[in-house]
Amino acid sequence: MNLKKKLKSGEFVVLAEMETPRGVDISELVGNAQRLKGRVDAVVVPDMDCGAMRLSALAGAALMQQQGIESVIHVYGRDRNQMALQSDLLGAYVLGVRNLVVVSGEGISQCDHRKAKAVDDLDEMSILQMIRCLQQGLDLAGFELKGTPAFTTGCTLPACADEKAFEAAIEQVRRKIAAGAEYVVTAPIFNFEHSISCLKRAMSLGVPVIPTVLLLKSVGMARYIAVNEPGSMLSEALIARIRKAPDREEECLRIAAEIVAGLKGVAQGIKIQALGWEHRLPAVLDLAGI
Amino acid sequence: MITAERKPIQEIMNLVSPYKNLLLVGCNECVTVCSAGGRKEVALLSSALQVAFMKSGRIVHIQEMTLERQCDPEYIEQLVPHIDSVDAVLSLACGCGVQEIARRFKEKMVFPGVNTKFMGASERPGVWAERCQGCGDCLLGVTGGICPIARCSKRLQNGPCGGSSKGKCEIGPDVDCAWQLIWDRLKALGLQERYETLLPAKNWRNGRGGGPRKIVREDLM
Ligand code: SF4
Ligand code: SF4
Repeated sequence: MNLKKKLKSGEFVVLAEMETPRGVDISELVGNAQRLKGRVDAVVVPDMDCGAMRLSALAGAALMQQQGIESVIHVYGRDRNQMALQSDLLGAYVLGVRNLVVVSGEGISQCDHRKAKAVDDLDEMSILQMIRCLQQGLDLAGFELKGTPAFTTGCTLPACADEKAFEAAIEQVRRKIAAGAEYVVTAPIFNFEHSISCLKRAMSLGVPVIPTVLLLKSVGMARYIAVNEPGSMLSEALIARIRKAPDREEECLRIAAEIVAGLKGVAQGIKIQALGWEHRLPAVLDLAGI
Repeated sequence: MITAERKPIQEIMNLVSPYKNLLLVGCNECVTVCSAGGRKEVALLSSALQVAFMKSGRIVHIQEMTLERQCDPEYIEQLVPHIDSVDAVLSLACGCGVQEIARRFKEKMVFPGVNTKFMGASERPGVWAERCQGCGDCLLGVTGGICPIARCSKRLQNGPCGGSSKGKCEIGPDVDCAWQLIWDRLKALGLQERYETLLPAKNWRNGRGGGPRKIVREDLM
């Protein structure tokens, strides 16, 4: 069953995120993907995540399709105007890509190409409306398309540091759903108890909600996230758990697996983000019993 | 106003180094208000340049002038009696003023002495901030008088990205999140429902997307 059908039927979906390389050596990407084949429903290929220039999401997703793995790509407006966005989406469709997540790109000043100029032609809402328009057989200029694409399109729910921010974020998601988003991918979840109530509120919006589980790699990484992303709710107890573990790497895998397993009865799926540890994803799935 | 910042003196010296007789021209409008290119800055730069050139063993003659408005052809004419006696012009006006001089005096090289920055306002003494990007289709009426094009780092027109935290933008703690400001203001005005309607994708053709812009007012021609 493909991702669209699974999302529709309410089945639990497992997504794994895979970064493309900064360069043209795709051996690791393809190797990691092959190891996950049959174990995940789709591979999510972000587009220059964290503001780092990399091989395009479109090419990465096409590689996944070549391997017989369903793919999902990130779409945002920082680097492409509406012509490039539409053109790439048509290209994605003919290469077999059927799933999108409209995300908010990193601000250009946070990217690794400090001299670059941002495009910012369309914001997330407008991109969602653009996708809806393409699916109706028209481009944004009103010209008829020769062959109409059909995507399953999601949006994101960011991490929120407090109730006020969460309410505003939920309101934005509600508007994104009205603009065409069919599922929601959340920011990484580290604190299960706290997240459950947030997830439930997001789920009340009426579309599938897929929380992200980020695979921590070290005490340093955990601490960085806890300090710099107050919305992450990453607790001191969790940092201590990694620090005290005899095998810290193993403990990180176990933490991710526990969150994955816990979410199984709650959310409509999970997305595991490994940020360079893609080769450890099968181990996380094993530990989570997936 | 249009804001500007004076270029570093070394860069200015490099630009004008081939010339011995300079006309240094300030402007009495925006660049005076933002203390970058008014009468005072003309006098200061003139002495600084002469001293710096003298230190390197060169004598440079500088005539100083400050026009009422350098972006206005009418005032540019005041340079006519002086232009023949100089080799080049150094302008402390914004880019519009520099170009007016270039347009009027085709045979003279003109150099910018300031970096023109943005259309903005003074937040407090010594601090100016960007307020408008001249998009050509003003949205302030629906965003509570706060511009998301100039003040949101991602130029979002339909609410915040996920990066807004405690009223600050994700790009840094010194930058207010424009959407937090917009939301707070709409709420204070009791106009939250304005936020409900999604704005259509912006027509950038009214802005720089449509190429160099012109305003033509036939009633004034
Ligand atoms: S909406 Fe456009 S015209 Fe209005 S303040 Fe912003 S950039 Fe300037
Ligand atoms: S944090 Fe606020 S100002 Fe900054 S990019 Fe996001 S919405 Fe715009």
